Amino acid sequence: MIKKIFLIIKNNMLLTVLVGVLVGLLSSWILYEGLHRTSDDKFCVVCHEMKPMVAAYHNDVHGGAGKIGIKVTCVTCHLPHDNVFAYIATKARNGAVEGAIHFFGNVDAIDWQANRANRAHFVKDEACVGCHTNYKTNEAISEQGRKMHAHYDSLKDTAKEISCASCHVEVGHKGLRSMLNYYKPEYEYYKGKLDKKKEEAEKKLAEELKK
Amino acid sequence: MRSKKTLLALGFFLILGVMSLVGSEVNASSPQLKITPELKEKFTLKPHHEKLSFKCVDCHEGQGDDPENFKAIDDKGCLSCHKTKQYLADRLKFMDNLHTNPHNSIHDGPKLYCDECHFEHKKSDNMCLSCHSNDVKLWMRPTP
Repeated sequence: MIKKIFLIIKNNMLLTVLVGVLVGLLSSWILYEGLHRTSDDKFCVVCHEMKPMVAAYHNDVHGGAGKIGIKVTCVTCHLPHDNVFAYIATKARNGAVEGAIHFFGNVDAIDWQANRANRAHFVKDEACVGCHTNYKTNEAISEQGRKMHAHYDSLKDTAKEISCASCHVEVGHKGLRSMLNYYKPEYEYYKGKLDKKKEEAEKKLAEELKK
Repeated sequence: MRSKKTLLALGFFLILGVMSLVGSEVNASSPQLKITPELKEKFTLKPHHEKLSFKCVDCHEGQGDDPENFKAIDDKGCLSCHKTKQYLADRLKFMDNLHTNPHNSIHDGPKLYCDECHFEHKKSDNMCLSCHSNDVKLWMRPTP
């Protein structure tokens, strides 16, 4: 059987190559479209418990609130970019885990405020630097800012390594702490008193996601 | 003749190069201050700053190299990283709804000095407590 297939291939070399190229191109295209269409806020929010995060993202320059309206997608900052296999693997794993939490987990038990302490893990420095290429020399950054970026660099690959989000605490999600509080106040005193703000945010979010 | 000119030019650039090197050294001189465990204990840092492995001179810039003689940095120093008082007030916007935002209070707005409440090397002191002694612990966490 296998011998027969080899024989067919041998006799039709040109056709085999053509079919191979076509299959390769087709699968690349499917993979590309698949990755591309499952990367923005509209897709992620379907399963991922992240309404307040998306609402805060829409208020940020990274979410299109800047003068020019440039918008980066969720995966731009939150998936590793150092190699494509790690990227796909992390994406697939996150998808499965988030889906499971959404459908079977206890969503109300998630402490989003506490999770903010893990921001260095959630934000990928290589993604920041991928766009902000001149963070060390950019004259638009204050002198102290550039000094601190040099400090960041000096700690790279040491045990004391810090990340972009260590200092840039609400980066990509302007007013995240407040937004999280509208959804789930961190102090007892505010419970039930910020619901109107949550309603406002939800309304705006629904409009943004429809765009 | 030509080689003499070349030599002159070379010498000129050499001197210029050395001068620029010397110059940059002067500019970049931040006192090499060794942070000993004793020093760390005497001038403890707040955990959020400690985590970032700051050196003394990152805040106490241009104040020499003797920690005993360092002066407190003023608002300008804090805000060189923490942007503006308005920015800090906006970060606690959710508190504005109940008028409990310490960075934007109904008494002072976003105008207080940082060190009316926040201290880096000792326990911070929430000024709101001086009047609202019972409520503050409901409104906010201990001042970082």
